Amino acid sequence: MLSIEHLYFSYQGQPPYVLNDLNLHIHSGDYISIVGDNGSGKSTLLRLILGFLTPVKGSIKRDTNNIRYVSQKNDFSHAGFPITVKEILDSYRKLLKIKDKHEVDRVLELTNMTEFKNRLISKLSGGQAQRVSIARALIGNPDLIILDEPSTGIDRKSQEGIYGLLRELNQVHHITIISVEHNLEMALANSTNIYHIANGKGHLCSPEQYASEIMHSTGRNPMDHENCACFTDVTTQAQAQAQAQAQAQAQAQAQAQAQADDTTTEEVRHV
Amino acid sequence: MFSYDFMQNAFFVAICISLLCPCIGIFMVLRRSSMIGDTMSHASLAGITLGLLTNTNPILGAFIFTAICGALIEFLRKYFSHHLDLILTIILSLSIGTAITLISSGKLKANANVFFFGSILTVNATDMISIAVLTVLSVLTLYFLYNSLLYIAYDEEAARVAGVKVDFINYIFAILMAAAVSISIKIVGVLVLSAMIALPVASALQLEKGFRTTLLCSIGFSLLAMVIGLFGSYYLNVAPGGFVSLTSVAILLVVLIIKNIRTILRRMQFSR
Repeated sequence: MLSIEHLYFSYQGQPPYVLNDLNLHIHSGDYISIVGDNGSGKSTLLRLILGFLTPVKGSIKRDTNNIRYVSQKNDFSHAGFPITVKEILDSYRKLLKIKDKHEVDRVLELTNMTEFKNRLISKLSGGQAQRVSIARALIGNPDLIILDEPSTGIDRKSQEGIYGLLRELNQVHHITIISVEHNLEMALANSTNIYHIANGKGHLCSPEQYASEIMHSTGRNPMDHENCACFTDVTTQAQAQAQAQAQAQAQAQAQAQAQADDTTTEEVRHV
Repeated sequence: MFSYDFMQNAFFVAICISLLCPCIGIFMVLRRSSMIGDTMSHASLAGITLGLLTNTNPILGAFIFTAICGALIEFLRKYFSHHLDLILTIILSLSIGTAITLISSGKLKANANVFFFGSILTVNATDMISIAVLTVLSVLTLYFLYNSLLYIAYDEEAARVAGVKVDFINYIFAILMAAAVSISIKIVGVLVLSAMIALPVASALQLEKGFRTTLLCSIGFSLLAMVIGLFGSYYLNVAPGGFVSLTSVAILLVVLIIKNIRTILRRMQFSR
């Protein structure tokens, strides 16, 4: 479905790279959550996959062009925009040159939003607006849907509904999903795989493996996934820092001890 | 009043303005760039002076120069992506600088002052043909680009994923803005032209309807402002630009008052 090989990217077009030799193979029917800290390059990777950015080195091969995108939108971005749910979907259907007018009703039914068809988008809650975005992404039966932080600004109950819908689309309708996530709980509960980005490096693992890595990094569980490059890097750095601190403390103590010894010797001489 | 040829001409142009300006204005307002309209209208003054200097149709001069300025705004967005205000200042400096230099040189073959405030007396047959052609071409372009423009305003990234050539359409939109400005300068004038682009849309937005209804209401409010403005201009013997602008503000105030009264009545009903 999607193959990323030796991908390098920086906004300046030269080192240091934001994304450094990334490799990722996504198969049809996968549900991949891309996770990582703020500024780790999650959204940059997503924009590269969508073709909004061009890699400095490496390649991104896509087997399909039937891809949809659900951008990261908050309520403010739709505030005051005079458009109904039906207009949003119908205009997109026309942009995609899909002639079947029932397509709008089909995606509304799939996302359980039929009753909100004639409502203004600005009058919907965050969760309902996100469902409309997903409904729009479903127009024309896409092979792949890419989402950027789908739970931003949405309450917990609505989040569960949104992720339930995504899971259904993935498992029942066999739509491949790539989602940039900051919501680890939902990512772990719903994804088939987690792609973790840290220090420009990427690493694919199962949700169970990633959960254990998190437990390790918080100190509650020993690391049982030693091959994880990104975590090894982080761990090595942390260990090196801790060692340096310990050495500095030991040196300081030794100096203090030596000073104390000198003082005592001088006092003895004086006496 | 309608027995005079100049009034017939003025009303014909008023209908063209009422149709085109809100169609362009709604996309500008929703993209939060309505101040581009103001800059473009001031830029048209340089085009007018260039037209008068070279003894060509000033409307055509305004259209060409404003279209170049519109394209320049889009081009500069790459370099000042987060500073639209700065881009507008650059364009204003270029265009107003050109206009002032040419006007003060004394080499213009006609008086440019009439374009500041607009006039119902000055629309001639050549202007009407230019305005009619520009309006028809612009409305047709808008009709074919309707969904693309709507999506660029609503969700530009989703539009790109759907295959919309956003950058190319932005350049076409700049030309459409230039067309809307050039057809309006004779009647409305350069100084208050942005009122015709933004104010009817501002009034229609208060109705809180869907996009199509908002667009149609904008056209309706624009037509109302133009008709009242031209009548007022004729009977009060004042420049149409100022009076049309005042009428637009008055319509917005009336819409706001009615909206507030309805809200209060609804609250009273709810509290019972």
